[in-house]
Amino acid sequence: MQPDATRIANIVTAAGAQPEVETTSLGVLMRIPADSVHDVLNALKAEGFGFLVDLFGTDTGEQIEMTYHLRDFGRDEEVYVRSSLPYDGALRSVWDVYPAAAFPEREAAELLGMRLDCHPNPRRLVTTEGCPPYLRKEVPVRGAEEVRLR
Amino acid sequence: MAIDKLTGENSILFIRSEQLFDWARRNSLWYMAFGIACCAIEGLMHASGPRFDFDRMGVFFRASPRQADVMIVAGTVNKKMAETVKRLYDQMPEPKWVVAMGACACTGGPFREYGNVIMGVDKVVPVDVYVPGCPPRPESVQYGFMQLQKKIDAQTEERLAARRNANR
Amino acid sequence: MTIDPRTDVPPAGEMLGDTHCPVPDTLPVGLDHVPTGVDREQAEHLIVNFGPQHPSMHGVLRILGELDGEEMISGEVNIGYLHRGIEKLAESRRYDQVGTLLDRGDYIAGIHGELAFAMATEQLAEIEVPERALWIRTLVGEITRISSHLLWYGPMGLDAGAMGQFLYAVRDREMLLDILEAITGARMMFNYIRPGGVLRDLPAGIERKILEFLDHFEKMLPEHDDLLGGNEIFQLRTKGVGVIDRDKALAYSLTGANLRASGVSWDLRKDRPYAAYDKVEFDVPISNEGDIYSRYLVRMEEMRQSVRIIRQVLDGMPEGPHTAKVAKVLRPPAGEAYAAVEAPRGEWGIHIISNGSDNPARMRYRPPAFYALQVVEDLIPGTLLADMIVVAGSMDIVLGEIDR
Repeated sequence: MQPDATRIANIVTAAGAQPEVETTSLGVLMRIPADSVHDVLNALKAEGFGFLVDLFGTDTGEQIEMTYHLRDFGRDEEVYVRSSLPYDGALRSVWDVYPAAAFPEREAAELLGMRLDCHPNPRRLVTTEGCPPYLRKEVPVRGAEEVRLR
Repeated sequence: MAIDKLTGENSILFIRSEQLFDWARRNSLWYMAFGIACCAIEGLMHASGPRFDFDRMGVFFRASPRQADVMIVAGTVNKKMAETVKRLYDQMPEPKWVVAMGACACTGGPFREYGNVIMGVDKVVPVDVYVPGCPPRPESVQYGFMQLQKKIDAQTEERLAARRNANR
Repeated sequence: MTIDPRTDVPPAGEMLGDTHCPVPDTLPVGLDHVPTGVDREQAEHLIVNFGPQHPSMHGVLRILGELDGEEMISGEVNIGYLHRGIEKLAESRRYDQVGTLLDRGDYIAGIHGELAFAMATEQLAEIEVPERALWIRTLVGEITRISSHLLWYGPMGLDAGAMGQFLYAVRDREMLLDILEAITGARMMFNYIRPGGVLRDLPAGIERKILEFLDHFEKMLPEHDDLLGGNEIFQLRTKGVGVIDRDKALAYSLTGANLRASGVSWDLRKDRPYAAYDKVEFDVPISNEGDIYSRYLVRMEEMRQSVRIIRQVLDGMPEGPHTAKVAKVLRPPAGEAYAAVEAPRGEWGIHIISNGSDNPARMRYRPPAFYALQVVEDLIPGTLLADMIVVAGSMDIVLGEIDR
């Protein structure tokens, strides 16, 4: 299940990024700079991690973190790749590495209010024009008073 | 209500055409097959399935809003959906009724705190019957339809009474 | 050029004369626009909108299709008509309240979402779940799987033009909902599996009721199979249609029965055993064709295997407490956890990022049908219009979890 962290780190380094390796309860997590995500995922895919389990963005309160959860069916291993983006940053699409990323990226970009670069169809997916980026921490949910008054 | 209960056997019934039409209308309420969310499974699929058998009440689904009398709003209406709900409502011929099924369609339900969700479909289209529950059981939807039938009856009476008063 | 109308029929779209005359500034009274007919240069293909209100769309899916006659040239899937912020709202819910939201995500098999969330929370808070709770989780999970597959099989046949099987599927599903209601208290929205165990113990006498259903269903399953799968028209419409090969299935991150129908043996119940799946015996059906018919076969066989699992669970159900001692308000330590279950639609993953407070800092819900939907968009070019609907139906999509 959990891969050898140094092997993954070597793959990532060979792809031109200096990873910070974290071994948490989650498994092996690689923190890499945002501009090298595309190359790193390409390298990891060539090394067997051919399955994108999930891709999501998180607003940590200071920046946006994109997490890519990859799986290798052959070795039965999983690895997480995480990159940080500033709030006004642009998300570089990885749909040409993992075609499955196309929808989740659109969703993440619109719900976190980011630009989406190099995507074949960078339209809004789940909300309409004028909706705020709901998953940002600064966009609150409705309060009890507003709900009660309806 | 069978019509010979009103008339007795072999007799003639004098009835206002309006009353007759409304009587026919409330016994064949055709709803639009339009499930939005979870409530569609209970309110449309299981209610029209073998056990609850909506058809015996004259309630039957139509695929097109042009042929429907009732719109069951079965689910959460959000900002993207609201426009469609309004347009479908406008496409239905008069007279038309709306049943708001489930907590979401009534008030926004468990999702009312989210900014994208509209707190109740009555902000978009006028609602005649609210069926609470999350999701309501198929029986509740059938009870809601019985209330709607009563409402249609009452509306006929009101209209006729208003006209009698005006003529007086 | 003179034209003999009997022999020289001009093909549609051919211009007979010069069209470059200037258009008058003022139109004759009574005319609103110049009667140019259809501009065939521009309107060669028809753009058709399916949904969000369309009787053969499952829920509020909208597909924008470009049609050349009956053949689809391209398509675009448009979702979001049911987007209601489950991920966002989970950030303002306590750990025992999130299950209510997840139930309404994939509303046909909500119990699997509760299970995934409970497992992720247990990983974070390091809760030991009692043995009986694991077996009860397996039991309700498999009952839900049958009921979900039945609700796939019925409407899927409707898409292909059959009607009868829908009524039989709903008939059998009612019996399952009765059982689930007796166990959990609700027909659809259970909130039964909580972090640490299950909400309450099994009611007395439920074994008899489940066995009654299993006996009935084992007799009925071949009939279901004959009714739809044995139908020649259904076979003609589904064999070789909507083929997803192994590479495409992996590229689009398909999971569950859709992946297994494309020849990849991956079942979280076998490969990452959770609950009590490592203590029961069952087979994982696989098909190599990847067409709609093989997805049908895989799901039918899965129902058969579920019956097998439920029988073993009823035999082996251990005694003991149904839940661990868990604090009223859970405050797991800061950290992250990912737990995934094999839901009827595939891998339903829950990724929780905790910051040590009452509420998750972020909850990511990995929706299997969301990924499956992208394949529909990929398969559209080249299929016939009527087949597109069956292809979309065969992926077993539930819009509640696609939009979240």
